[in-house]
Amino acid sequence: MNAPLPPELKLGQAHAAGALDEAALLRLADLALDLAKAQGADYADIRFGALVTEYLRAREDRLEQATARTDRGFGLRVLRGGSWGFCGASALTEAALRDAVETALANARAVQRIQLEPIVVEALPAYTARWIAPAAVDPFAVGIDEKAEFLLAVTAAARDAGADFCTASFLGAREERLFASSRGSRIFQTRTRVQPDFSVTAVDKASGRFASRDSLAPARAAGWEHASACGLIEEARRAAEEARCKLFAKPVTPGKRDLVIAPSNLFLTIHETVGHSTELDRSLGWEANFAGTTFVKPPMLGALRFGSPLMTIFADRRQEGGLATIGYDDDGAPAAYAEFDIVKDGVFQNFQMALGQAHLVGLPRTNGCAYADNPRAFPIQRMPNISLAPNAAQTSRDDLLAGVEDGLYVVGAGSWSIDQQRDNFQFGGQLFYEIKQGKLGEMVQGAAYQGRTLDFWAGLDGLGDASTYELHGVFTCGKAEPIQLAPVSHGAPCARFRGVEVLNTDA
Amino acid sequence: MLSQDDAQTIASSLLSRSNADGCEIVLSGMREHNLRFAREGATTNRTAERISLRIASHVAGRVGAVEIASLDEAEGLAALARSEEIARALPRDRDYVPPLGPQRYEESLRYREATAAAGLDVLAAKAETVVAEGARRGVATFGQIASGAGFRARATSAGLFAYERASEIELSTTARNFRDDWSGWAGAKSNDAEKLDAPSVARRACAKAAQSETPRDLEPGGWTTIFEPEATAELARWLLHALDARAADEGRSCFSKKGGGNLRGEKLFDEKLTLSSSPRDAFAPEAAIGFEGAPQRARAWIDRGALATLYLDRAYAKQTGAEPIPCPHSFRLAGGDATLDEMIRATKRGVLVTRLWYTNMLDPRALLLTGLTRDGNFLIENGRIVAPARNLRFNQSLYALFGKIEALGPAEPTWSALYDEGLAAAPPMLVENFGFSSKSGGI
Repeated sequence: MNAPLPPELKLGQAHAAGALDEAALLRLADLALDLAKAQGADYADIRFGALVTEYLRAREDRLEQATARTDRGFGLRVLRGGSWGFCGASALTEAALRDAVETALANARAVQRIQLEPIVVEALPAYTARWIAPAAVDPFAVGIDEKAEFLLAVTAAARDAGADFCTASFLGAREERLFASSRGSRIFQTRTRVQPDFSVTAVDKASGRFASRDSLAPARAAGWEHASACGLIEEARRAAEEARCKLFAKPVTPGKRDLVIAPSNLFLTIHETVGHSTELDRSLGWEANFAGTTFVKPPMLGALRFGSPLMTIFADRRQEGGLATIGYDDDGAPAAYAEFDIVKDGVFQNFQMALGQAHLVGLPRTNGCAYADNPRAFPIQRMPNISLAPNAAQTSRDDLLAGVEDGLYVVGAGSWSIDQQRDNFQFGGQLFYEIKQGKLGEMVQGAAYQGRTLDFWAGLDGLGDASTYELHGVFTCGKAEPIQLAPVSHGAPCARFRGVEVLNTDA
Repeated sequence: MLSQDDAQTIASSLLSRSNADGCEIVLSGMREHNLRFAREGATTNRTAERISLRIASHVAGRVGAVEIASLDEAEGLAALARSEEIARALPRDRDYVPPLGPQRYEESLRYREATAAAGLDVLAAKAETVVAEGARRGVATFGQIASGAGFRARATSAGLFAYERASEIELSTTARNFRDDWSGWAGAKSNDAEKLDAPSVARRACAKAAQSETPRDLEPGGWTTIFEPEATAELARWLLHALDARAADEGRSCFSKKGGGNLRGEKLFDEKLTLSSSPRDAFAPEAAIGFEGAPQRARAWIDRGALATLYLDRAYAKQTGAEPIPCPHSFRLAGGDATLDEMIRATKRGVLVTRLWYTNMLDPRALLLTGLTRDGNFLIENGRIVAPARNLRFNQSLYALFGKIEALGPAEPTWSALYDEGLAAAPPMLVENFGFSSKSGGI
C-alpha cells in the first residue's frame, strides 16, 4: 500500500467553518423522525447535508472561471407497509420538514399499487458518532488569488514547453452530513476532497491533426496540500512534450498483445469491470433500465472464477486519501462493514450491498455501500474504495516489462466504454509505449484495448508490489435515475495482462 | 417555484445592493418526482425541491461567482459580498465581457400546468400500466417515470431581465424475458403529461422483449443498419457537441480546416442531413434563454449536409467580432418520407437497432465514436425481421456515417432523461456499412 491504514479518526472536533447548524439540525431530525413514526412509518431516516465547492479554471493566460458554491438540504426516507417514500428539499426549516413527512408517507402509499414484493430492511444498530477526515491544508482557507496564480503557472509551463493550448482546473469540495434514523442513530461526518487537473493540446495546422494529453494527477480525499504537491507544473511541461510527440508518433500495430498497465489507467478498468459488475442492485435488476445489470449472479458467490489467482480485489472505506473513505455510509452502517474481499485469489466472494438487499441473497445485513450524492437524493448502493491488492513478493514495473517480448505499456485514462452487463469493454489511454524484448520503446498513437471481462482478468499474470501501488479515482461515477454522481477511489499496482486485443482507432 | 414577479423582486433587490462595476443574478428552482420499478415492483422514489441563487460580480474586468441554495436575504447579501471579494482576488481577464443588456427572447413553449401538477400518484398509475402489460406479455418490466417543473430567471445590472418556466415528463421501460436472455426497451418524453402515452411505451418494450426465438450471434463487420429514432438521436447528439467555433478555429476539432480556420459553409455530410434547433419546434422546443442569457433562435447547425453554424460564447464572440451563439441542448434531425417498414423491406441483410449505450468519443478529429447496441437488435433478411440478434460494439466515424444516408423516416420525439440534454426529435435512419467491431455478451 502507499500508506498505512489510518489510526482512529479524531472524534469530537466540529469543523471550524461548518455550513450546518448542528444543534438546529438535531432538533429538526427529532421532529421529522418522531412525526414520521407517529403517522405510520415503520422505519425512517433522514440526511441533512451541505456541499461546499470551489471551482477555478484557467485556459492559456486567462483565469476563465472562479465559482464558490454551497448546496444544502435534506432528504427524508420512510418505510411504510413495505414501500419506500422519499421527500427532499433545500429549505432547512420546520415547515419544510413537516411537509416532507406528509409527502414521503403519501409517496409510500402511492407506490403500493406497484409494490409486488414488500421492501424489507435489516435492523442496524444505532450509532452516535462524529467523524471528520483530516485535511492538512483546508482548501477553502487558501486564497483564491493563490489558486488562480497556481493554475496560471500550470498553463504557462505547458505553453512554454510547446503546447498550443492548455486548460488547468481545481475543484475543492467539503461535504458535511448528519444522518439520523428512527432507530436512534445520530452521525455527523465531514470530509474534504480535491481534484487538480489539466489538459494540454498540440496542433499541427498543416495536417489538420491535434493530440491531447490530460493530467495523471489523481483526485484525492485531501486538502490543498495534495494539489500543491502533486507536481502539476512539472507534469504540464512534460505533457506538452508528450502531446507533441503523440502527434507524430507512429500508429500502433493492432492485434493481440501483452499489456503492462500503469495504475493511472488500470484504476478505471477495475472500476468498470469489477466495481460495477459486483453491485448487488444491478444483479437484482434494480438498475436494469439505465445503468444495466451484470453477468455476476448470486449463485456465483464463492464459485465464479473471475480472474487469475493473482487477482484479489478488496473493498474498504479506510484508505488514506480514498474518495469513498468515510466513517459511516448513508444508511448509517459503519465503515467496518465495508472491509471485504470482492474477489480473492481470482474467485468472486462478495457483492457490494446497501440496506434492504442482503436478505435477497441469504445474507444477514448490508456491507455498508450506500451513498446519496446530495441530501435530496435517495441513497442507493455505491462503491466503497475498490482496489487491486499488490504482490507480496518484490516485483517492480521493470520486472513486469521484462516478461514481455512484444507488447504495450499503457499510461493514464482515456476513452472508456463497456456494455450494460459489464462484459465487452474498450478503453483508451493517455500514452501508449511499445515494449520490445522486455524494454520500453517508442510511443505509439491511436491505440485502445478491447476485451471481455473474464477473459481479461484470466490473463493477469504479473502483479507489481506495493512500491508500484497508486490510488486514483473519480469524483463523478454515474448511476441511477435520476443520475447520481459518486466519488470513489481505486488503488492498483502495475499489472501485466496477456493476449489483449489492441485496436488502431485511426484505421 | 418562484413566479416571474417574485424572481424579479429578489433579483432587483440584490442588484441594488451591489458595489461592483456590474452584476448578474441567476435564480433557478425545480420540484420533481420520480419512481423506479424492477422485477419486484417499486424500488426507489422521491419528491424533491431545490432552489439556487447564483451571483456573478464584475470588478475591474474580473468576474467572481457565488452560488447558494437559499433565498434568505441575509445569505444573499453575504453571497453578493463574497462574489465581489472573489472578483477582486482574480487577475484581469483580457477577454472580459460586461453583463448582458436587455434581449429579445422568443416565446417559450416548454411549460404545461398539468405536467407541473403531476405528482407521484399520477406517475404510479402510469407505471402500473407498464407492469400490467409486462404481466400480460409474460415479461419482467423495469423502468423509471419522472416529472418535474422548474424556472430560471436572469437579471443583470445592464438592465436584462428574463424568466422562463419548463415542465417535463418522461417514461422509459426495459422489459426482459423470464429466461433473462433477451430484452426490449421503449421510452417517451414530453413537456406535456397528457401527451405521454404510457400504454404505447409499455406495448413497444414488452413486444420487443417477448421473443421466443434464441438470439442470433452476428459477426462483426460492416452492416446495413436501421436505427430507430432514439439511436439516431444518440448519434446526432455527438455531432451537436462538436459544433464549438473556438475549438474549430484553433485547430482542435473535426470542423477545423487544414491550414487554419473552420469548415463552415462546406458540404461535409449527406444532403439528407439537416440538424437544427428552435424554441418553436413542435416536438423538441429549445429553451428561449440560452447560455449566458443569449437568446436561442431558430438555427440550422447542419443544413442539407453543409456545416452552417457553430456556437460561440460571449468572450470568443468579442474576440472575433461575431455575435454570440449559445450552444444548443434541444435539436431536431430532419426526417424524410421512408417508413420503417419500407426500410426493412429494402434491406437484404441487416440489423434493426433499438438504442445505443455507453457511447464515447475515441478520436474527436475524425468523430470516431464507440458504443454498443442495447435492448432490442433484430436481424433482417430479405426484407423481413427474422430473429432477435445479440448486441455488438461499434467503432464508427460519424463523418462516414452521416456522409451517406440511404433513407430517413419521419422525425418523431425521442426520449432523454429529465432535464438532461434538452429534448430531441429524430427519424429512423437506414445506412450501409455501419462498423460493428466486436460481439457483446451483454443482454
